[in-house]
Amino acid sequence: MCSQPFGEISGPAEVTPIVALHEVSKWYGNVIGLNKLTIRIPAGVTGLLGPNGAGKSTLLQLATGQLYPSQGTVHVLGQSVWNNPSLNRRIGLCPEQDAFYEWMTGWDFVYTSARLAGLSRADARDATGRTVEDVGMTRHKGRAIRGYSKGMRQRIKMAQALVHGPQVLFLDEPMAGTDPVARRALMDIIQRLGSEGKSVVVSSHVLHEVQSLTPNIILLNRGRLLAEGQVRQIRDLIDKHPHHIVLVCDGSRKLASRLVGWEDVEGIRMLPGGKALMVETRSPDAFYGRLPQLSLEDGTEIKEVYSDDDNLEAVFKYLVNK
Amino acid sequence: MNSAPALAQNEPSSPGRAGRGLNLSAFWTLYAFSLRQHRHGKRWIIMAALMLLPAGLALLVRNTAHNVPPVAMEFIFCFMLIPQALLPLVALIYASGIIQDEQEDQTITYLLIRPIPKWAIYTMKLLATLTVAVGLTVVFTSLTYAVIYWGADTHGQNILLRCLKASAIHATAVVAYCCLFGLMSLMAKRILIVGILYIAIFEGLFANLAFGIRLLTVIYYTRLIAYRTLPFIVSTPFGTQDFAAEAWQLDVRTDPKLLEHPQFATCVIVLSVGSLVLTILAAFLCSKREFYVKTAEKA
Repeated sequence: MCSQPFGEISGPAEVTPIVALHEVSKWYGNVIGLNKLTIRIPAGVTGLLGPNGAGKSTLLQLATGQLYPSQGTVHVLGQSVWNNPSLNRRIGLCPEQDAFYEWMTGWDFVYTSARLAGLSRADARDATGRTVEDVGMTRHKGRAIRGYSKGMRQRIKMAQALVHGPQVLFLDEPMAGTDPVARRALMDIIQRLGSEGKSVVVSSHVLHEVQSLTPNIILLNRGRLLAEGQVRQIRDLIDKHPHHIVLVCDGSRKLASRLVGWEDVEGIRMLPGGKALMVETRSPDAFYGRLPQLSLEDGTEIKEVYSDDDNLEAVFKYLVNK
Repeated sequence: MNSAPALAQNEPSSPGRAGRGLNLSAFWTLYAFSLRQHRHGKRWIIMAALMLLPAGLALLVRNTAHNVPPVAMEFIFCFMLIPQALLPLVALIYASGIIQDEQEDQTITYLLIRPIPKWAIYTMKLLATLTVAVGLTVVFTSLTYAVIYWGADTHGQNILLRCLKASAIHATAVVAYCCLFGLMSLMAKRILIVGILYIAIFEGLFANLAFGIRLLTVIYYTRLIAYRTLPFIVSTPFGTQDFAAEAWQLDVRTDPKLLEHPQFATCVIVLSVGSLVLTILAAFLCSKREFYVKTAEKA
């Protein structure tokens, strides 16, 4: 784990970073958004992880020149971003907020974005057609945005970020609120961008979402860098802290007696109602792997399995307190 | 999803275009887009309804009080009601939203992430606002003139010329008001309250005091331009009456040529240069400012 808690540089120094923040702090009055953050994001797809309020959106807004750092410097592609509109030709942003010019059609929205980005009419038309196709919105391009589903809105928002062919793309919670189908579609787009050599910074508060996009992640919490590196290393670290897995089944006492014998199970607690039990383990992957076999061996029907630790809050609490 | 051509083909960032040069076509797009925003908003309908008020009142007066001379109606509706009350309100409501509307709708991000300087975003949006405000002003001033003078005895006056002059005066005033409120909207959070207070205190109270402080108001110069270009003298059984001089505190008895007041050209220059200076100040302020958009973090 190349974790350098609390803001130390830990990225590969020899690689020219796409995004470089040095000792950056950002305050909103008395509230701190980022706290002396130093970070170097290399080319490729990078996941920016953190719970709500971690500073992800602030970081992206600083990186796209919308905000001015209270302290420190922000560079993208080697250039200072504040009041540098020409740099915006080379970067794209899919913002977090679900805000649109609702009266516009999807096509019109993307075309206008292309024109505002400086493309000529003909280039903008071509680029809009391609991009709308790329995000799978060709069928719906003529409809007003106000009639779009959440998934369509996210996809058209992605299209406006892509239409001018940016080198670096910032995506702020692009999968938020989408259904599984739209989520899969958006993930496909991001993966394709990565394979085309684009640099993409994706923010999310869902670990497994980012994990399936890229192995490179940055963990933020309360405006500070908590860790950065390969997702596997971070997962290993996370796996060292006890996971709580809830099993819902009818014969929960019988199931508990079987699980007590497993080496990777550190504790078992019956939950109120007697229909579920909570297992504590430090090897969740191994535990999950053995569960299907258990059902097959003695016919125990496990109705539901979920982990309380799946949310990042638990992981962050663990990393902060370790 | 499909395997459509690579997105990289959209590249606009060739070295020549990635320079710091201004992209006029992007500016034009922003101007045209802002005009479309005005068209799709409901604000212009409210403004049009408001601007119909003088024409409606003139129609009412013509049908109920037949002895009121048209020039008196013209003075009251076109040179008291419109520039004193309606133009500042129209300008306030339009100009206060130049940037604030985008901020409240959280759509300003889509403009800030384009290769357009912030000063240009403000300027283009202001130009679109001026276009709409001037358009509304000219249309409804003309309509009010039509209602007042249609079929009336004009005593040989060229009403079309009066209407054109009035429209031009109103357009100049509304431009000045828009530039003023545009700047104020970047400095004050509760711009509608601040704007209404400004209208009441400066344009309402101070402008009607026969002291130097009225030199700071838009309405003072507007009135002077009107007085110097359009006579508002009516013959009554008791002699001629100069409505404007009385109502606007212009002491024509001791200073019949108003030599103590700015001349026509000075008034036009003050309003035009003032509008330009206010625009430059606002654009400068805009270029230095951050525009917060409410996100989960900031909330």
